[in-house]
Amino acid sequence: MNQAAPAPKENMGNPIPRVDAGLKVTGQAGYPADLAVANVAYGVLATSNIAKGRISALRLDKARAMPGVLDIVSVGDMDGVDKPKFGNTGASSIGPLHDRTIFHDGQIIALVVAETFEAAEEGAMQISADYTQETPSASFDSAGAEMEPAAGKSPLFKEDVNAGDFEAAYSTAAVKIDQTYSTPTQHHNPIELFSTTAMWQGDKLTIYEPSQNVTGWKIELARQLNIDPVNVRIVSPYIGGAFGSKGPMTARTAIVAVAARRVRRPVRCVVSRMQAFNTQTYRAETRHRIRIGAGKDGRITAFAHEGWEVTSRPDPYVVGGTSATGRMYDYGSVLTRVSLVHADRNTPGYMRSPPETPYVYALENAMDEMAVALGMDPVQFRRINEPQKEPIGGKPFSSRSLINCYDQAAEAFGWSTRDPAVGSMRDGDWLVGMGCATAIYPTAAAPCAARVRLTADGQVRVQCGSHEIGTGVRTVAAQMAAERLGVDIDKVAVEMGDSALPPAPVSGGSISTASVCSAVLKACEAVREKLFVAAAGNDGPLAGSGNAKLDMTNEKVVTETGKSAKLADVFKAMQIGAIEEYAEFAPNGSSPEALKKLYAGQAEFHGGDQDKDSVKYAFGAEFVEVRINSYTREIRVPRMVGAFAAGRIMNTRTARSQLMGGMIWGIGQALHEATEIDQRHARYVNRDLQDYLVPVNADIKAVDVILVPEVDHEVNPAGVKGLGELGNVGTAAAVASAVYHATGRRIRDLPIRIDDLIT
Amino acid sequence: MRINGQVYNLGLDNRTSLLDALRDHVGLTGTKKGCDHGQCGACTVLIDGKRVLSCLSFAVMNEGREVTTVEGLASADDSLHPMQQAFIDNDAFQCGYCTPGQIMSAIGCISEGHAGSEDDIREYMSGNLCRCAAYPNIVAAILQARDEMRRA
Amino acid sequence: MRPFVFERPTNISAAVALVSSFADGRAPTQADVQFIAGGTNLADYMKLGVARPRRLVDLNDLSEPALRQIRISDGTIRFGALVRMGEAADRGDVKRHCPLLAESLKFAASAQIRNMASLAGNVLQRTRCEYFRETSWPCNKRVPGSGCAAMEGLNRQHAVLGTSDACIATYHGDFAQALIALDAVVDVEGRHGTRQIRFAKLHQLPGDTPDVETDLAADEVITAINVPFSEWSRRSRYLKIRDRESYAFALASAAVALDMDGDTVRQARIALGGVATVPWRARLAEEALVGKRLDQSAAETAADAAFAEAKPRRHNEFKVPLGKRTLVRALIETRDMKV
Ligand SMILES: Cc1cc2nc3c(=O)[nH]c(=O)nc-3n(C[C@H](O)[C@H](O)[C@H](O)COP(=O)(O)OP(=O)(O)OC[C@H]3O[C@@H](n4cnc5c(N)ncnc54)[C@H](O)[C@@H]3O)c2cc1C
Ligand code: SF4
Ligand code: FES
Ligand code: FES
Repeated sequence: MNQAAPAPKENMGNPIPRVDAGLKVTGQAGYPADLAVANVAYGVLATSNIAKGRISALRLDKARAMPGVLDIVSVGDMDGVDKPKFGNTGASSIGPLHDRTIFHDGQIIALVVAETFEAAEEGAMQISADYTQETPSASFDSAGAEMEPAAGKSPLFKEDVNAGDFEAAYSTAAVKIDQTYSTPTQHHNPIELFSTTAMWQGDKLTIYEPSQNVTGWKIELARQLNIDPVNVRIVSPYIGGAFGSKGPMTARTAIVAVAARRVRRPVRCVVSRMQAFNTQTYRAETRHRIRIGAGKDGRITAFAHEGWEVTSRPDPYVVGGTSATGRMYDYGSVLTRVSLVHADRNTPGYMRSPPETPYVYALENAMDEMAVALGMDPVQFRRINEPQKEPIGGKPFSSRSLINCYDQAAEAFGWSTRDPAVGSMRDGDWLVGMGCATAIYPTAAAPCAARVRLTADGQVRVQCGSHEIGTGVRTVAAQMAAERLGVDIDKVAVEMGDSALPPAPVSGGSISTASVCSAVLKACEAVREKLFVAAAGNDGPLAGSGNAKLDMTNEKVVTETGKSAKLADVFKAMQIGAIEEYAEFAPNGSSPEALKKLYAGQAEFHGGDQDKDSVKYAFGAEFVEVRINSYTREIRVPRMVGAFAAGRIMNTRTARSQLMGGMIWGIGQALHEATEIDQRHARYVNRDLQDYLVPVNADIKAVDVILVPEVDHEVNPAGVKGLGELGNVGTAAAVASAVYHATGRRIRDLPIRIDDLIT
Repeated sequence: MRINGQVYNLGLDNRTSLLDALRDHVGLTGTKKGCDHGQCGACTVLIDGKRVLSCLSFAVMNEGREVTTVEGLASADDSLHPMQQAFIDNDAFQCGYCTPGQIMSAIGCISEGHAGSEDDIREYMSGNLCRCAAYPNIVAAILQARDEMRRA
Repeated sequence: MRPFVFERPTNISAAVALVSSFADGRAPTQADVQFIAGGTNLADYMKLGVARPRRLVDLNDLSEPALRQIRISDGTIRFGALVRMGEAADRGDVKRHCPLLAESLKFAASAQIRNMASLAGNVLQRTRCEYFRETSWPCNKRVPGSGCAAMEGLNRQHAVLGTSDACIATYHGDFAQALIALDAVVDVEGRHGTRQIRFAKLHQLPGDTPDVETDLAADEVITAINVPFSEWSRRSRYLKIRDRESYAFALASAAVALDMDGDTVRQARIALGGVATVPWRARLAEEALVGKRLDQSAAETAADAAFAEAKPRRHNEFKVPLGKRTLVRALIETRDMKV
């Protein structure tokens, strides 16, 4: 076993290699833009270069005259097509080709379709437009930006949570801080480019597009195109990184479908990295004001978190992380308020831990500052404020292993070697700093369906319209089926990423493993039940075992007393060749319509802070060491340790990889990532991977992930908490804490760069 | 142009990049496009044994050269290249999209003699972004494959 | 991308003839024809629509062996124009005689790009100013007279030295800093014959004509770069400071070579990257060091001299202290080199 495959501890599954690993290392895994399509034409987008105004004239003649150009779909060509809807499945309500209004920079103004990519691209470059321009509002401080309370604007953010009398407690607190923090605009930038390939066969439409929500997209695309959803199929077998960016469908999908219908042949549109910054979603910039009051003993008596978030002019996209930060510690009183600021920008959307990344960053940076104000060790400060119940509704946590995580991570990191005095640690020309922070992510699950077939020769096929975005869900689904049906994992084939399969919820919110495994588990139980009844039945090979508990292993049905029957013999007794079971899973507390909504592409999430009896979160503790050159002040992170507890770990290999990837994302958030906005024009300026920096290999040295055992039967039947988004929560605050420790500079605005430390 | 040992006569537009030629005209879609501007490394292939970015090379410039892509790595009996196996063993990817480029680059890194230490590997593999951030596992995979390739 | 004619000449004079015959005696422009070597800069800008040549002349089939050779003799390293960055960076003798040259290449771009990119192409790379790269912005360098979007826009990566009212774009290359520090000379061949250009004269300050970037005519091909070296250039290094550890352009860099007599500086060569509009020789800093004991305070005085004329804008003020500290660190580290 190597580092990538940690030995499973209690309640952890084996580090089985990914079932699709062979395809991925040979180039055979078919990402949507790889799938061969006969007679395909190429589409390239033309986009606006102003952020606000109206198109007064669109000049298409030059492009039309270009050799190889087949067609141009532009404003006014969407007759009979409904505008997109903003919501779970739709990225924005803006229908760029439905009217002439420009809502944001880089808005689609045309799609050029040509015989070759080169012709389409040159055609798009030749398109120009005249605009009646208005001065756009770029962000928070721009004239014309409109602010409103966020509560109630989104089904995911119903209210500002509060508890007790904050003002009174704060005013009398012995020690307090009142600070503002901010996070910049960020783009997911998965390495796979966004793309849509549309093919019509009669009135049937097939779309190849990387998607985290094939079922939702099928329904939404059919609605826009005014066709029956049974005629729409979304295919997305492999996804080249998602991080939320492929959750909501954008306006492009319908536009490419319309183009394919017009030219009567398949059209493939691969969006350039540059255009993706404006035509996909992103994480908008946030601001925070945090006030914390505590007694001299370090017990927090008052906590207030106010957040401001940017969104587009028409769509109220909210992240609202205060429901998590407001429940994090044992605050005596809580006040929270989230406001939306509408600006002339494309609509933001989910990006890896949408609420927690910015909000917990602010909270944890403030916690570190508070620990300094109290003269207290930051770990000890968190220990003192560890709650028995969450402070808002007084509900218990279904499980909460935070202190355990802190203990294990601190030990592995060597926290006790840290000299708490600022600037006290040095290695030659390098200042050394150590810091820590808490990670939290709500544990949810959603309804999900799966079909499992077992044949007499022990082959298993699992079908589920979920999505392999790199999390390893295909692998853990196979593992779950293999374990329950007692066959080797090599005998399990898993089909995913196709809206023709049983519906699964959007692969977001870290719900996939829990939801998919619960559905697969349920289908497997049904298969087992049939086999057991037959095996123990009068004509069965285990006749007479009565009500004894049966199980499946090594392609056999076995009894507690050690009797066993080969699968083939049980099937023979049943006189059938295969058992196929279709199961629908709905989490506890689901509404009566939950399953209906699943088929309608509107998954209902349960868990987190929504449940009646308890709140459900996964926790972790992260420690980082930074080194800052004493002359030139560049900041490097040679070492990080994270300990995480997330219920049952299905596969220690994929779990570790995800958490490690998350922590490295955290480094990017802390030190590198920011989409720069030209405030005069409300335009993004660094729309590529040369200027939008993400960590490279050389930035990452030792990353140690500790999986802390945790058993939680309350969360869902599989006992699984999601961990895909947990790892990158808190990291940036841990870095800020370490930078403070090294330099005495408290940096509150991300990313932390040389600029902040050089003077 | 020879691609993975086979000769192709493609008759392409001068503007076609080597990357698009491979993907759209030869049907070898293992090589990926992540930026099309030399900023990510997903399109890495070997030309005459050296790792290069296929997105920044016009296909016409490669007439007469030998191109190796990820599809050309496995041996005739379909057994994996040690680097491919090492990537599996060390879970050196998540989504897998950057992986063909990482693997081609890793092979180049070793043959150039830049895989002497972990720090060297990190530096000389920094032209391949992995947004899933499998970096530590990629380094481990290269160390494993390097030693196996040396032994072989 | 505009369609183009593709040519593959097999010797230098054929290449020059191809670009000279093209425009009926009229001096060709970059829109008429451009050479291509590695393509890592030009293909990028063609895809972006910034460069739109009608004809490309590929230099990779030129048969003159010297174009691909590194020859070391009589105190000169002669790099053929088509030598790849990676090869030059890895050459043991280059590293030995002049670590500065090898380091400036090693820390540039990525291994793949260094395998593709030629040394001549490298020194001729164009700025990465974001507003220059995107054709929808006004930019005096791309479209003379259209204005400069960076001046009042986002200019964190822009230059503080050598700027003009028309353009503040940084010259981003690394190798050129080593070349200018060491007084390199470039061999050029064009329709009017061959000539040599001192490296310091190759790049042009933006002034009123930021679109004119070099002293080369469109028909002139660089055939070699000659770098004089001596015993003391072993004491040289390239320090590059960037936002991430690798695969990033310099926020500030310093190319330093020191001729030391014990603790005292006999002669210093200093160039600065990431902070200026062209490869930047810091002569005032060099002068400030001559005859001095090189300690922290002498280094700081030199750094102050190097940036005395700096003109920062809104987002790149940090480049002044950063540039100074980079130079100080480079001087101290070079002083302490064991050679
Ligand atoms: C993502 C990325 C990161 C990079 N990072 C760095 C970095 O950190 N540091 C750095 O220094 N560089 C960096 N570069 C730039 C890279 O080094 C240059 O693109 C490369 O060196 C150019 O060489 P080339 O042979 O590919 O030139 P080409 O693209 O072929 O040509 C560039 C220009 O030079 C002209 N030309 C080429 N050869 C000749 C000749 N012999 N005579 C006359 N004209 C000629 C061409 O006409 C063209 O105008 C980076 C590039 C990219 C894409
Ligand atoms: S700085 Fe120079 S290159 Fe950049 S926009 Fe201004 S004129 Fe153009
Ligand atoms: S696609 Fe070639 S480097 Fe990104
Ligand atoms: S594995 Fe997803 S980008 Fe590297």
